[in-house]
Amino acid sequence: MSRGLNRDDEENTSVSRRRFVQAAGASGITVGLAGCTGGGGESDDSTAEPISTEAPDEEVTLQIGADSLFNDNVDAIEQSLHESGGMPDNISLEVTAGSFESGDRQAKYQQLLNAEQEQPTLLMMDNGWTIPFIARNELTNLSEALPESITSTVKEDYFDSMVATAQDQNGDLYGVPLFAAFPTVQYRKDLFREAGYSDSDFETWATEPMEWSTFSEAVAQVWDETGTKGGFGWQGKNYVGLACCDFVEFMGSWGGSYFGEFSNLFGPVDDRPVTVDEEQVIDAVRMMRTFINGQDDPEALSDFTQCSPSNTVSYTEEPSRKAFANGDLVALRNWPYVFDLHGGEPGSGDTTGFGEDLGAMPIPYHTSTSDSPYGPEIGGSTSALGGWHLALNPHAPETQKRAAVQMLDALQTDQVRLDIFKAVGWIPPIPELVDSDQARELDPLGRYVDTLKVAGENSVPRPVTAVWPSQSSKISQQVNAAIRQEKTPEEAMTELQETLVSLEGQG
Amino acid sequence: MATEHETETLPGEGGGVYASFIRWMENLSETQFAYFLLTPALLLLGAIAFWPLLSTFRLSLFADAITGTSTVGEFVGIQNYLAVLTGERNALLPAPFIPTSLSVKAIFGSALTVTLIFTIASVFFETIIGFGQALVLDQDFRGRRWARVVIIIPWAVPIVIQGMIFYLFFAPGIGPFVGEGPLSLQQAGILSDSPLQTTIDAAMITIVADIWKTTAFMALLILAGLQSVNRDLYDVARVSGASTWQRFKLITLPIVLPTVLVAMLFRTIQAMRVYGIIEASGVGCSTLPSLSCLVVTSFFGGTRLVGTAATVAFLTAAFIGLVVTVYIIGYAREEGA
Repeated sequence: MSRGLNRDDEENTSVSRRRFVQAAGASGITVGLAGCTGGGGESDDSTAEPISTEAPDEEVTLQIGADSLFNDNVDAIEQSLHESGGMPDNISLEVTAGSFESGDRQAKYQQLLNAEQEQPTLLMMDNGWTIPFIARNELTNLSEALPESITSTVKEDYFDSMVATAQDQNGDLYGVPLFAAFPTVQYRKDLFREAGYSDSDFETWATEPMEWSTFSEAVAQVWDETGTKGGFGWQGKNYVGLACCDFVEFMGSWGGSYFGEFSNLFGPVDDRPVTVDEEQVIDAVRMMRTFINGQDDPEALSDFTQCSPSNTVSYTEEPSRKAFANGDLVALRNWPYVFDLHGGEPGSGDTTGFGEDLGAMPIPYHTSTSDSPYGPEIGGSTSALGGWHLALNPHAPETQKRAAVQMLDALQTDQVRLDIFKAVGWIPPIPELVDSDQARELDPLGRYVDTLKVAGENSVPRPVTAVWPSQSSKISQQVNAAIRQEKTPEEAMTELQETLVSLEGQG
Repeated sequence: MATEHETETLPGEGGGVYASFIRWMENLSETQFAYFLLTPALLLLGAIAFWPLLSTFRLSLFADAITGTSTVGEFVGIQNYLAVLTGERNALLPAPFIPTSLSVKAIFGSALTVTLIFTIASVFFETIIGFGQALVLDQDFRGRRWARVVIIIPWAVPIVIQGMIFYLFFAPGIGPFVGEGPLSLQQAGILSDSPLQTTIDAAMITIVADIWKTTAFMALLILAGLQSVNRDLYDVARVSGASTWQRFKLITLPIVLPTVLVAMLFRTIQAMRVYGIIEASGVGCSTLPSLSCLVVTSFFGGTRLVGTAATVAFLTAAFIGLVVTVYIIGYAREEGA
C-alpha cells in the first residue's frame, strides 16, 4: 500500500492533519503572546519627591488598603475627615478590606509593593511589621514627601514608642500612626463582687497594677467560688501574638527582655545581646506554666496559683474573647476593642454587653521597674504596644498622593481622632488626647481611659528589625512548647537563645 | 510510479514554503507525527512548568537579601542547598528540613520526615480502605447507588469545610474528642490536652482527616479498574473450583494492579504537597511543618528569604520527583511483566 492511498483516507476524516496544525498554530501564537506580557523594570529610588500640598481639583477616590473594621466604619471616618478635619469634599475614601489576620495582609502588601502596583495609595500597616518594609525601601519616605507640618507633629506629639516603629535608622518617618493599642486585663466585676471584692478594690486596680501572685490568687478564688468555667484567659497559641505581645508582657513584668536594654529593641542587629536565657525570663515561663497547671507542674513556682484554663495554650485573641463573652472566663488579657464590644449596657441591642460590670486593670507585674536589670523602661506592669500606621505606596499616581496628603493632614485634627476613637474604638496615638476630658466623655470607652493611660505609659514595642519575623516564629514555637509542658522552661529558653543568636548573625 | 508522484500537486496550493512544509508533514511516520503534535503541548508545559522550575533553581543560587532594594543578594552557587541540608539554615526556617536527631520529636518536627510519614501512612490506609470499598461497590446489591453516594460525599467536601470539621472535633472546649466526655481520646490517653497544637497529635489528626476525605478517590479509581475485569474469567475460575481468595489473588489483583499503582501515584503526589488541610484545620504550619508549609512560610514569613525559600521549593519539587520515579519504575515493570 502506498502513502498516497493513506493520505486519501485521511482527507476524508473531518479533521485533517493540515487543518489541525493550522488551528493549533494560531492558538499557539495567541498563548505565546499572552506569555510575553509579564515582567517589569527594577526601580531603585529610595528618595521621595515632596508631594504638592495643593488639593487635587478633580474628584478623587483615595484608595486605602485596610481591614474590615476600617471598611465598616469608612463612612463615619470620611464624614469626620470632611467636617472636622477639613478634607476637601472632592476627596472620598475607598477601602480595599484585607484579611483580619495581620500576617495575611503583610504577605499581600509585600506582593503588591514588589509588583509596583499603583493601588492602594495608603496602606494600613501593623507596627509589628512596618520596619522590614522600610528596611527594604518599599515605602515612601514621608519625612521627604510630606510637608514638615505633618511630620513634626507626629514626631513631637505622638507616643514615642509608636513613632519608633515607623521610622528608619536615620529617624526618617515612613508611616503616620493611625491608632495605638495597649492590652489590659479585662474582668467581670459582678463575679468579683460575688467573691467578696468591692468597688473600692476595682477603683484601685484600675490604675495601680497588681502583683501576679495576688492577681492569680484572686482570680483562682473567684473562679472557684462562682463556678465559672475558666479563670484568666490569655493567648498562648504558637502564633505571632504570643511572641510580639503576651510573652513580651509576662517577660517584661519579670524584668526580662529579648535583647537586654530597651535601647537595643530596634537594633543594631547582631551587635546587641540576646537575653532570653536569663533567670527572670525562665521564671516568667515557669509562672505561665503555674497559671495553667497549678502546683502539680514540676516547674511550678510556689508564689502563684493555678488561674488559667488549660486551653489557654490554644487561645488567640478571638477565641479567648468569645469565651469571655460567653461568660466562661473571669478575666481576660486582650486589646481595647473588647471595651467597645462588651462594655455596652446589656440589652441595649448588644446581648454580650457587661456594661459597668466590665472592669479593666493594667497588666499585673512581678518585678518592679527599680528591681529590673533593664529598668526603668523594662520591668513592672508591661503592655505590648499594638497599633497600626498609614504608609504611602511610592508607586501611586500623583493625584492619589496629593489626596493622601490632604487626608493625612485632616487626620491630625484632634476632633477627627476623637471621632474615630468613638466610632471605631481606635485609641488616638497621642497621649494628650487619651488623657483628655473629651475622651473621658465617650461611652463606654471613657470609663477605661485611665487604665489605658497607665497601659500606654508602660507600653513596650516589639523588637522589629528585618530579622524579627523569623525570630518571632521561633519565639512563639519555643514558648508554646514550654507552656504545653513539652519542654522545660530552661530547655526551651536555652534553645531559643541559640536560635536567636544565630538569626542575629543573618541580619 | 515516479511520474505519478510528480503530478500529484493538490489544486489550489501553489508550492513554496507552505507546500513543502505540508509535504514534509504528510510524509512523517506515525511516531514522528505523534511527537510533532505533542510539540505545542510541550512548549506550553515548558512555559508554565519547566521555566518556573528553572527560574526557581536560578533564584536558589543567590544569597538572601534581608534588607535593601534588590530581592536577592550575590551569587553563592549551591551554598544554600548545603546550608539547608546540613541544618545550618535551621534558625531561619520554621522547621528543619532534615531531622536534627533520630528522636521521635525531631522526626516529626522536620519537614521532610513528617511529610514522608504523612504520605506513607495516608496513602497506605487510603489504598487498603479504598480497595475494600471498591470491592464492595463492585458487587450487585440493593441500595448500591446510595452506598456509592455515601462513599463519595467526603470527596466532595471542600478542604476548608473538612478542616473546620476536624478543628471542631478536636478544639478544646468544643470538640467531643477532647476534654471530658464519653468520646474523649484525651481521657483514653491517646491525645494530649490540645492535640491541634501538639505536633505528633496534629500529624495523626491530619492523616485521619486526609484518609477520611480521599479514600473515596482511591475507591473510585480502583472501582473503574475492577469493572474492566472480564466477568467470564470469574465464571471459568468458579467452574474450575477456585476459592474466593484464589479468584482475588489470581484474577482481580493482577488485572487491577496497574490501576491501583496509578491511583497511588496520584495520591502520593498530592500527599507529598499537603498544605491546605494543615492550615484549614487550625493546626498551622508552625505545628505541622510539611514541605509545602516550609516553602510558603519561608516565602511569606515576613523576613525576605527569597534564596532560602527557592532552595526549599526546588528541593521539595526534587523529592516529589524522586518519589514519583519510584512509582513510574514500578509501573513500567508491571507493564513489562
